[in-house]
Amino acid sequence: MNNTNRALNRLLVFVIGLVLLAGGAAVAVGALWPDVRDTVSGAASDASGPVSDALSGDQVWILWVVAAASLVLILLLVWFAFRQGHGQTGELLTVDEGSSRNEPTGGRLVIDAKVAEQVLEEALADTAGIVSIDVTAFRVKGENVLRITANARKGASPVEIRRSIDQAVSRWDALLGTETPVVVQINGGLRTQMASATRLD
Amino acid sequence: MSSSSLYRRIVRRETHSSRAVIAITLAVILIVVLAWIGTESVLAAIGQQPLLVAPADAAGAVLDAAGAAVGVLTAIGAVVALIGLVLIIVSLAPGRRGRRAGGIGRTAAVVDDRVIARSLARTASYAGDVDPSQVSVSVGKRKALIEVTRTSGRNTDVRSIDEAVRDELDAYDFSPALKHTVRLSKKGTVGA
Repeated sequence: MNNTNRALNRLLVFVIGLVLLAGGAAVAVGALWPDVRDTVSGAASDASGPVSDALSGDQVWILWVVAAASLVLILLLVWFAFRQGHGQTGELLTVDEGSSRNEPTGGRLVIDAKVAEQVLEEALADTAGIVSIDVTAFRVKGENVLRITANARKGASPVEIRRSIDQAVSRWDALLGTETPVVVQINGGLRTQMASATRLD
Repeated sequence: MSSSSLYRRIVRRETHSSRAVIAITLAVILIVVLAWIGTESVLAAIGQQPLLVAPADAAGAVLDAAGAAVGVLTAIGAVVALIGLVLIIVSLAPGRRGRRAGGIGRTAAVVDDRVIARSLARTASYAGDVDPSQVSVSVGKRKALIEVTRTSGRNTDVRSIDEAVRDELDAYDFSPALKHTVRLSKKGTVGA
């Protein structure tokens, strides 16, 4: 639910895959084809003298260009790696000062995601099918979205869990006085493996 | 309200992999290789000893490799090409995460397939009056397979299991929807 750019992730994997596929295929096919192999290995042994001269001191600028290019690419890749997975926010709702009917006139109102977390955890604590819940707010496309992750008890019906959560959310809406988007995630992870199975009901 | 398009976007993102792990892994490998190349270039440019291999020797080795044995070159090329092919497939495949979307109303919901499997297993074990350990359920993209191991010497009522599971699946509003098959294993367990 974060704002990772997924197309960019796939593009990077695709481009690297394409380079490896093309390079590997060229080497494999070239080696099997006698004409290509002779031409390439002849050209390579001709080139090895000048190349090693150039790289071992004649043309120092080449080395600096290589180093600079590596640095630029490294910075790009570091930026790429660190821009993954942002979007979590601590604030659920802000109402700014204004003159219309639904806005406060005496200041700015900020409601933390923690408030929603505590209210909803309290409301769902006694639900039979749920081991634990976890509430986080995310900012998606300019809207603050609340994510409720419920860890389901072994064998509990997901439909009933959803119904209980939706009821709790409608009570929360009434308390908040407005509706923010809510995404419910029903999981059966490690935490539910260790909890006891659902009661007979 | 724009929330249904927002919900669709979120549900799509929650049910499919972001490919972040493989992308970051590849980025880190590239960073390490580039850092090494950059360092070696600078060391060679200022006339210091190389860390591992000087750029001139490395380039020479690559050029010499063009004349190496056919078998070795072909094998290396084929392996590299295969890795590339796998990466291309990974980059294009949808990458489902074993979750499915619930209907969108006031809230949107995403349900783990394991939760569905366990719920179906419990329903089946009640309906067939067998121990929960005798039921195993696997949930695929569109199919749920319920395998029941019978208890020796007792009849297991497959039809009632089938009906109970159908009732439960009918109550679901998940997409992709599931079709179920109940299979009774030929061997039975003793004394369950």
